[in-house]
Amino acid sequence: MFAKSWVKGLTRFSFTEIFIPLIIVAGSSLWLSGRSTSLLLFIKFTLCYLMMVLSLQVFVGNSGVLSFGHGSFAMVGAFVSGLATAPLVIKQHAMSLSNLWQPLVDFKLNLGMSLLASAIAGGVFAALTGGFLMRLNGLAAGIATFALLGITYNILFNNNHIGPSNQALPGVSQFSSLTLPLVLVLLAMVLVYFYNLSRLGRTLRATREDNMASRGLGINIVRVRWMSFMFSGLLAGLAGAMYAHVGGAVQVQDYYLGFTFFTLAMLIVGGSASLWGAVLGTIVVSGVSQILLMWEQSTPVLGVTIHLPIGTRAIVIAGMLVVILLWRPNGISNGNEFKLPNFLSKIKVS
Amino acid sequence: MIQTILNALSLGGTYALASLGLGLVFGVMRLVNFAYSELITIAAYTLVMTNQLPIMVSFLFSVVVTSLAAVLMELLIYRRLRGAAPAIMLVASFGLSKLLQQVYELCFGALPRSASIAPWMSGELKFAGVSITNASLITAILTIVLLLAMRYLLNKTSFGIQLKAASADFRTARLLGVRANHLISLAFVMSGVLAAFVGAILVVGNPQVEPMFGMNMTILALVGIVIGGISSLPGSALGGFIVGVILSLLNTWLGNGRVYSYSWLFAAVFIILLVRPGGLLSKGQEMERV
Amino acid sequence: MQILEIEDLNSGYGKVDVLLDITFSMKAGQCFGIVGPNGVGKSTLLQTIAGAIKPKSGSIKLLGNEISGRNPEDIVRSGLALVPEGRQIFGGLTVMENLQLGLTGRADKKTSHQAIEHVAELFPVITTHSKQQAGLLSGGQQQQLAIARALITDPKVLLLDEPSLGLAPNIINNLFSNLKRILEAGTTLLIVEQRANLVTKFADEILILREGLIQDRLNKIDAQDENKLKKAYFGLGANE
Ligand SMILES: Nc1ncnc2c1ncn2[C@@H]1O[C@H](COP(=O)(O)OP(=O)(O)O)[C@@H](O)[C@H]1O
Ligand SMILES: [Mg+2]
Repeated sequence: MFAKSWVKGLTRFSFTEIFIPLIIVAGSSLWLSGRSTSLLLFIKFTLCYLMMVLSLQVFVGNSGVLSFGHGSFAMVGAFVSGLATAPLVIKQHAMSLSNLWQPLVDFKLNLGMSLLASAIAGGVFAALTGGFLMRLNGLAAGIATFALLGITYNILFNNNHIGPSNQALPGVSQFSSLTLPLVLVLLAMVLVYFYNLSRLGRTLRATREDNMASRGLGINIVRVRWMSFMFSGLLAGLAGAMYAHVGGAVQVQDYYLGFTFFTLAMLIVGGSASLWGAVLGTIVVSGVSQILLMWEQSTPVLGVTIHLPIGTRAIVIAGMLVVILLWRPNGISNGNEFKLPNFLSKIKVS
Repeated sequence: MIQTILNALSLGGTYALASLGLGLVFGVMRLVNFAYSELITIAAYTLVMTNQLPIMVSFLFSVVVTSLAAVLMELLIYRRLRGAAPAIMLVASFGLSKLLQQVYELCFGALPRSASIAPWMSGELKFAGVSITNASLITAILTIVLLLAMRYLLNKTSFGIQLKAASADFRTARLLGVRANHLISLAFVMSGVLAAFVGAILVVGNPQVEPMFGMNMTILALVGIVIGGISSLPGSALGGFIVGVILSLLNTWLGNGRVYSYSWLFAAVFIILLVRPGGLLSKGQEMERV
Repeated sequence: MQILEIEDLNSGYGKVDVLLDITFSMKAGQCFGIVGPNGVGKSTLLQTIAGAIKPKSGSIKLLGNEISGRNPEDIVRSGLALVPEGRQIFGGLTVMENLQLGLTGRADKKTSHQAIEHVAELFPVITTHSKQQAGLLSGGQQQQLAIARALITDPKVLLLDEPSLGLAPNIINNLFSNLKRILEAGTTLLIVEQRANLVTKFADEILILREGLIQDRLNKIDAQDENKLKKAYFGLGANE
């Protein structure tokens, strides 16, 4: 039965829908990152955000249930990965870690294994909490996910037995090049695309259209949502870990409201209903943000310099989100996957 | 001991006011207004910036500014989103909240602005061997008066009846002549006035105003309306009150563990939502409909 | 004089057209009944006239003034009120508060006190239970309250959507005798009823709604004839 549904999903597969976004992400990452070290860092951070937005798309986009709680999976992923790769000296001597639980002091993995462990941690955390959260609908669900974020943050921020509490954990191993984060993101894109096409993804989208009707069709909404919540938690854990490995440090504040806002904004601006929306939203929001950041620092962008006061960037991003919600609630992609512009597809045919 | 109880009651009252402010707007348009936090913040900024004026003038000024901000918020943003999916409105209000925080940061800087507002407030009052601060006594009296006033307004005036009716069923209320635009604008004005009071109470206790000043209060007030029953106004107030009292008691009793009092509160939200998705005072599963 | 004129009205939900092309008009003081199977759009028609649903095209005139596309709160002020299907009283409010809501839709506020006394004559429940929570009233009492609440807005045209729904026979009789008194007092009535025989007795005309159109119109005498009514209702027209 699984095989059958897989094939059924594949019948709607379109080569351009997945391949072009992959090329765009890979191409622009490689091209831009070669231009300067600051751009390389920007690309690395953007890839982390893209991973996070993909994670949100899997759940929010398909189920229609808003989640403010994914930051908690990213936090957990970052903590796991950070503690697994920070050197023993730091764990033993940093002031903020003097109360760290001994097994965590001894916990040691290499970069690859730590990424795997953080993805698993994110997935397991989502599985545990999803059992409660997935029973809720609409607004109650939105607020409960907010509560989840609040609890996770509150505990990690204050407890110095399981992490650096409100301090930064320094010395986390960093990605030596762009290759690993890029490959991870491209892989995740392929997975998410096929997940959206799969029977599970399509069933979940059906529940979004009509709660009652799908219940009538014998779909177990809680279970279907739960599965996608787990997959999404897994990606979020990975995103959190990647973020730690780009910055070389872990600090819980990095994954709280600002992070939640920024990644949700990317998803909504691009359009939550499709992979292309997630990719587009991340590119547009990060791109605009980076350009404004450079202008805030009076650095020319393609030869143009505009002197902006510090703080303009965040205002523009928030404003962009609000304006998109007012004028195009389905995002720039309008909920569609990537399509070649009409004239291009005609050229190909002829 | 008396001080503890009085603190708990006045904190409870403050949260009840904040929850009521959120609940009023939720009632008429099913919107959870995260940007309520920025209304509280602007009220506090106004008080700090107009500190040289007499306290009553400064406060009146802050009420005007805050309710004006609330009305503009409705007019420019939320009016266009009326009838949109609750998730869309939720994200929009989240975005608006961030937007205003950044605007405040640009205008007033990221560092706290402070001023000593009504220094006599921190004085103490002693009688029968117990001493309480002026501030907590005034807060307690103020919140009781305000809650009674709100009660009167909701139960005895035409506006209150319209508000309750519109919260239950806006469509039918309109068929009877309730003017949607007026009512929603008025609900925002009242929400703004309540935010001004909340902001004033907060700023007296902690005159360090920064762009995220109102955030904690708003998130916890939100917890309050979820606990109490999001579509019932008395429920909102009660829920807010419960949150304030519990938080105050947790802070006293948990000692060093008080840093986790938010976690306990949020955990309570989980459990209540699971058992009663519509909150403690709800009759049915009203959240489902939303 | 025509009090309500509806022309080429098209209405529905989203992309779905429920009413295709509705045209009819009523004189002041008339009573029309609308019958038709479940789901043809009778409620949609009344809601559209009252402004709760925006029509896609066509015209609705009240006393010669165009009201289509206006807000329900404005329409009720210009003299047209709807008693919605299922009564929709506010169960959490008291009986008197429900009535006070009706007063918001009244153009002439000065006479509101008399208005309450006036409807209380027709519906004694208003005075006997004025402080009670409306949700605790019986079905018949709730229907009385719903009609009283609409009457308080001082309508020239009153629309009623299945007023007999869920009521016991003797209560229905009482209800319709009250409606008759309202009609005799000069209010124009447009009543949607599943049980056609209830309206045929005193409606001036019966409109039969099917497939988005008014398929047939029967005058008082024809409507009393059960065979003609049935034929029209089931669409067994002239060629049968
Ligand atoms: N809110 C709504 N959204 C979409 N379709 C609706 C809505 N209300 C009613 N409908 C549809 O419109 C049609 C007419 O409904 P209605 O006017 O209630 O019929 P009636 O009152 O004659 O039984 C039905 O097919 C119904 O399914
Ligand atoms: Mg009907």
